[in-house]
Amino acid sequence: MASFFFGRTRTRTNAIDLPRQAKDHVTKLEGPAGAAKAEELGKVLSQMKFILQGTHEAEVSPDQMYQLVMGVIEEDLLYLLAVNLHRLPFESRKDTQVIFSYVFRFRPPTASPKSEPVALKYIIEQRPQVLVELCKGYDHKESATPAGSVLRELIKSEAAAAIILYDDGDEPGSSAHGLMAIDRDRLQSGNGIFWRFFDWIDKGSFEVAADAFTTFRELLTKHKDLVPRFLHVNFELFFDKYNHILVQSNSYVTKRQSIKLLGEILLDRSNYNVMTEYVDRGEHLKICMNLLRDDRKMVQYEGFHVFKVFVANPNKSVPVQKILIMNRDKLLTFLSQFLEDRTDDEQFIDEREFLIKQIRSMPAQPVPSQR
Amino acid sequence: MADVADHYQVLEELGRGSFGVVYKAIDKSTGETVAIKHIDLESSDDDIQEIQQEIAVLSTCGSSYVTQYKTSFLRGHKLWIVMEFLGGGSCLDLLKPGNFSEGHIAIVCRELLRGLEYLHAEGKIHRDIKAANILLSESGKVKLADFGVAAQLTNIKSQRHTFVGTPFWMAPEVIQQAGYDFKADIWSLGITAMELALGEPPHAAMHPMKVLFHIPKSPPPRLEGNYSKEFKDFIAKCLVKDPDYRPSAKDMLKHKFIRNAGKVEALQELITAKQMWDANRTRTKHPVYYQETLHSMSPADERDEWVFDTVRSVAPKQRGTVRSRKPSAIFPVEDAMRRLDVKDGPLQPTTPGTVRKATVRRQPSIAIAQSPTKQSSQGSVRRISTSSVAPKRPLQPDMSFGNTGSTMRLFRRVPSDSSTSGQLGDASTDENRPPTKPSTTSSEQQQQQHTSGKEALLGRRLYNKAIEPSLAELHAQTAGSDKRAALANLSDAFAHLDAVDPEGAYHLLQTLLASVAQDKKLAPAFIPHSSSASPALPSKTTGPSDNTPQGTVLIKTPAQVLAASPSKLVLSNANPHLKSHRRRQATPDGSVFEQQRSPEKSEQRDGEKGAGGGVEARYPGKEALPGLEHCQHLSGVFYERWANGLLSRWGGVAGG
Repeated sequence: MASFFFGRTRTRTNAIDLPRQAKDHVTKLEGPAGAAKAEELGKVLSQMKFILQGTHEAEVSPDQMYQLVMGVIEEDLLYLLAVNLHRLPFESRKDTQVIFSYVFRFRPPTASPKSEPVALKYIIEQRPQVLVELCKGYDHKESATPAGSVLRELIKSEAAAAIILYDDGDEPGSSAHGLMAIDRDRLQSGNGIFWRFFDWIDKGSFEVAADAFTTFRELLTKHKDLVPRFLHVNFELFFDKYNHILVQSNSYVTKRQSIKLLGEILLDRSNYNVMTEYVDRGEHLKICMNLLRDDRKMVQYEGFHVFKVFVANPNKSVPVQKILIMNRDKLLTFLSQFLEDRTDDEQFIDEREFLIKQIRSMPAQPVPSQR
Repeated sequence: MADVADHYQVLEELGRGSFGVVYKAIDKSTGETVAIKHIDLESSDDDIQEIQQEIAVLSTCGSSYVTQYKTSFLRGHKLWIVMEFLGGGSCLDLLKPGNFSEGHIAIVCRELLRGLEYLHAEGKIHRDIKAANILLSESGKVKLADFGVAAQLTNIKSQRHTFVGTPFWMAPEVIQQAGYDFKADIWSLGITAMELALGEPPHAAMHPMKVLFHIPKSPPPRLEGNYSKEFKDFIAKCLVKDPDYRPSAKDMLKHKFIRNAGKVEALQELITAKQMWDANRTRTKHPVYYQETLHSMSPADERDEWVFDTVRSVAPKQRGTVRSRKPSAIFPVEDAMRRLDVKDGPLQPTTPGTVRKATVRRQPSIAIAQSPTKQSSQGSVRRISTSSVAPKRPLQPDMSFGNTGSTMRLFRRVPSDSSTSGQLGDASTDENRPPTKPSTTSSEQQQQQHTSGKEALLGRRLYNKAIEPSLAELHAQTAGSDKRAALANLSDAFAHLDAVDPEGAYHLLQTLLASVAQDKKLAPAFIPHSSSASPALPSKTTGPSDNTPQGTVLIKTPAQVLAASPSKLVLSNANPHLKSHRRRQATPDGSVFEQQRSPEKSEQRDGEKGAGGGVEARYPGKEALPGLEHCQHLSGVFYERWANGLLSRWGGVAGG
């Protein structure tokens, strides 16, 4: 009996102590003894990792995990680590990533498997800044990858995704005041953390931009209730930035991927209203048609998959009809030769034929939409 | 042009990987030799994300048993991945002079196991262990390379199902897609050990696809012949079909075969042997040197490069790695490319030589629009050069698609318009913003300063709201190039008037309208009978679908064009204010369409504001062209089928 208590007490102390030690070190990273602190922090973090993850040989103890997770929350370590992620040494950044992913998945053994993991619930309701700081991981090359993979796991939760989408500093209705405070019908100022993704994707180094884009894509495609509403309310701001920063990006990868994502967003059933609004604009069609003539054929190809939505729309707006009609002959010639070498892409060929038919059968003058 | 690529002096080609060419290069800042993999992103449909995944896995590896990743960056549509240079070559290369001895194999296997131990502890599975992916440094250090299909697990105990690897080396559980983990790498290691001993993997004579059926069905391959008991046992342990009974990398490091292995320096013998072998070959080897493609140096030749890129197919490797990717397409056709040429393209407007003035005016805004932030990377060069060609091509590529060049102007003007009228909500401004924000040129600001008096304001509004869009509209609908030129000249003249003297524009129209109203014949033609009171504006009952002779008549004399202009308010569907206006009123439940069913009405509202009131009665709504209603139904049906097709396409992408 005594040994039972002894063992229990010891492990508990250890698991509780680690977050406190980590906090101690992490707050002194910038001081004169930064390097030494970083090393000590590294040791603590790797111990924490082993408690949470176990090894191939050793199983984890749910009891210890619980202690650790509670300690991490109490010491506000999630926030501190998120803020300092780029300052950590190489291995510690990876350990931190592992710690985050385990902490955010942890449920007490007694809790229902459907309940929100404790740490996740905590940051969503009381500490949304953790999510914001994780996003800011894209400010640094060092932290981009670990922060990004933690983020992508977190935004599987709709609430976490909402926090990021609706962060708007101290504005009323911003997620900075917690999930419940979000006002989904308020126009975003554009200063929230979500809008910074555009810059990270456009201007970041390849690694940063690529990771940021992956997260951005997840944010915009995972949640079929949240995102359509967000896009509907913030349509102008979102597509202004999207069309001018991402689609026109200097980076080939950003350009190509964002055109593709645009197609995915527009064709997602849940975004129907956003799609109809998008394809009504002549300006959008023009951007798209210019993509068809980009000198890089994969850009043309991805552009085609957006273009087809405009043409296939049975209720084309007058401006869209006008542009198509004005360019009818050019378009027909162009499309008949467009990416001719994709001979083994049957779907593409079918779609191209369909577009040609549609454009050919358009009336001579725009007809106001009947819907 | 500041370019990361300039930090490297690229030397000869080292080899061609599954999707890229690898060059030897020197990091100019450190003098260090590196290997750079060039991946042509244009040459494949593959999701770039997969390549990012490779980089993500590599960049988080910090082990002396794994090739060290340094950096990666984009150069145009090529991705450069900079790695540590390993001068010894791959084990596959080193096999050429002859099979490895047991002693050498033991060393290689030990080093590999250490590498795998590291990877597996990191939650990574390599998934493509084979001789070709094992590199040696000149000193004999063994390193794992090519993480093209590696997986990163978020949970150390989770499993994978994706079917990747190279058939001959694939573990049965991977082929069966029943869920696998780190143990799959151990199987591949066993096959690789046999490959090193025999020169090729088991079943090498078999067709790769047939092997896929063979491996799960048959008993594991065994090493036969004159080899030590330890080596045979090592292979047998690696090739246990049930992964649960297959040892981990850590366990295998304790195997006797491994414990007795010698030092890595002994592997230098292999490298020497290869060098001897190379030297003795009758066929002299010509190193292929990296050539800075014209593409990256001179924008003028970019198109050549592009054609070059497309013609080049990804050189298939002998036993290519099977990926869950589509094979990259081969593009032999240059002909189509030529037709897509910006200058010769069929979309090029057919009215050269006209509207010269207009072009000059538009030029700056196009340049701005096309190169928002394009200072740094090379993609921009071509664009800038395109716009520099512009003076020869009056109607710019931008315009070729549509609302003519005046569209550009329309957008440029909007900021000043909304600031002067103050009637438009904030929501409308975004859309009208030109691609780059610094579009408000100084001249425009000056214009704004001029704009003070009420008449000037009205005059400016008149121009922005009525004349300019109408002219644009008319220009767009006019086919003959002469007529278009005439219209463009008029448009320019008006633009000039607007810039210099908006008041003048106001008075011009006032006078014009008064004269029209007084003329017995003109008045009924332009002012509908229902009209009452103020002769402020004429109106016309025509809409965009109007195809009546007036349209052509109008072009003949400038006065008539002017007279018609205000009526073209009806046509200004492209007017962004209007759209956002409408949108703001729309609710998310689809009443957008409700609104759009009667666009004329909202236009009337807009027109009412624009013309200063009392005009709405003179803008009767226009009807859809009769006889075309059934087309709506048809296309509705089409659209549904279409949308479903699209959804399945994208759905497939999302699910995969």
